[in-house]
Amino acid sequence: SQPLSGRQAAELQSKVVPSKQILHSDNMEMEPETMETKSVTDYFSKLHMGSLVYSCTSKRKNK
Amino acid sequence: RMEASCLELALEGERLCKAGDCRAGVSFFEAAVQVGTEDLKTLSAIYSQLGNAYFYLHEYAKALEYHHHDLTLARTIGDLLGEAKASGNLGNTLKVLGNFEEAIVCCQRHLDISRELNDKVGEARALYNLGNVYHSKGKNVASAGTHDPGELPDDVKNALQKAANYYEENLTIVTKLGDRAAQGRAFGNLGNTHYLLGNFRSAVLAHEQRLLIAKEFGDRSAERRAYSNLGNAYIFLGEFETASEYYKRTLQLARQLKDRAVEAQACYSLGNTYTLLQDYEKAIDYHLKHLVIAQELNDKIGEGRACWSLGNAYTALGNHDQAMHFAERHLEISREVGDRSGELTARLNLSDLQMVLGLSYSTNNSMMSESQVVDNSLNGTRPRVGRRHSMENMELMKLTPEKVQNWN
Repeated sequence: SQPLSGRQAAELQSKVVPSKQILHSDNMEMEPETMETKSVTDYFSKLHMGSLVYSCTSKRKNK
Repeated sequence: RMEASCLELALEGERLCKAGDCRAGVSFFEAAVQVGTEDLKTLSAIYSQLGNAYFYLHEYAKALEYHHHDLTLARTIGDLLGEAKASGNLGNTLKVLGNFEEAIVCCQRHLDISRELNDKVGEARALYNLGNVYHSKGKNVASAGTHDPGELPDDVKNALQKAANYYEENLTIVTKLGDRAAQGRAFGNLGNTHYLLGNFRSAVLAHEQRLLIAKEFGDRSAERRAYSNLGNAYIFLGEFETASEYYKRTLQLARQLKDRAVEAQACYSLGNTYTLLQDYEKAIDYHLKHLVIAQELNDKIGEGRACWSLGNAYTALGNHDQAMHFAERHLEISREVGDRSGELTARLNLSDLQMVLGLSYSTNNSMMSESQVVDNSLNGTRPRVGRRHSMENMELMKLTPEKVQNWN
């Protein structure tokens, strides 16, 4: 069997009196991400129904 | 027979995603892409929503793909606002995937365009996203090492400080805009950033603001998050009683919200807090509650932690039989989940206990010299490699020197 290092031995002793250290669960609660949203209806309302068939070659900008 | 148009399919996809059924929404959006459209703005909106749906479904590779399509398209058609949005979404996705440098570039692009368009809402959102990327970056580097909050290498500290600055900048704008929900989010994450930086008083102040806003909105999940984060900060301020009060509120809300996993976490935090308060009976009570839920959720890692904690608490009470029982269980579980260092820890625990009980123990223990024992009990040396790795997501806490001296 392989011998324990000094540190391992020290750790081992800390287990006999385990309360000197305590496990603290680092469970931070983050806020949710915000994603940017697009909707087909955004363009819908801007373009009106008739222009939905407009071709991709038409250079329209909707800012 | 009328074929469903791309637009109709996309509208149904939108409706389903809004109703919370992203999985079904994705099918409709993908069908819409199959049908195709010459309206590139509609296509951009479909890609964007597909990306977001996959993001919420935690399928980040797919999310990345679609947000990337959206960005390319927005640039092609010269839609600057669309490009800003796509950049922000791509940035958030890259962050989750751990590609922080590219995430920063994307979020910075979102910020630059928003400023160019004098879009204050967009600017604030980009600042929040940038804060989140730097926070994740800092946390990611920090978790590679073994640091308690406040004990950080310079690169981690720099990233976290940047995160704090971005959250502050965001707060300035959203406060002017009167956007309380956005303030709530920024305060929460600012609080967590201060916590990691070791500014526990500032963390408390931020989380108190978060709590206030959560109550304003009747947002009980946010309220629960605030209690939990306040508990964590008070632990590191050494105010264990206050921490226990906040963890109890977390537990109460977790039960109301019927979130068993969060309930387990709250019990575990309470178990640890009562250990710090040296009230081992209460610690055992909460660790047992944690154990029951971990078993119910088939969470082997949680179960192993519970057994480890219970073993320690029973040892502190001098109940060696129970301590042995849980150390054995810890060993079994460590073997089951293939946790090699957990297994080693459990073996060491068992041989310690056998020694205490005057039973035979492994010859390895003879390595433990008197001087090491005395040394360890004086300075409370923190175990390093083995136990750290066996206890994922956990940090070992140092107690105040007075506590250590009064221990035995």
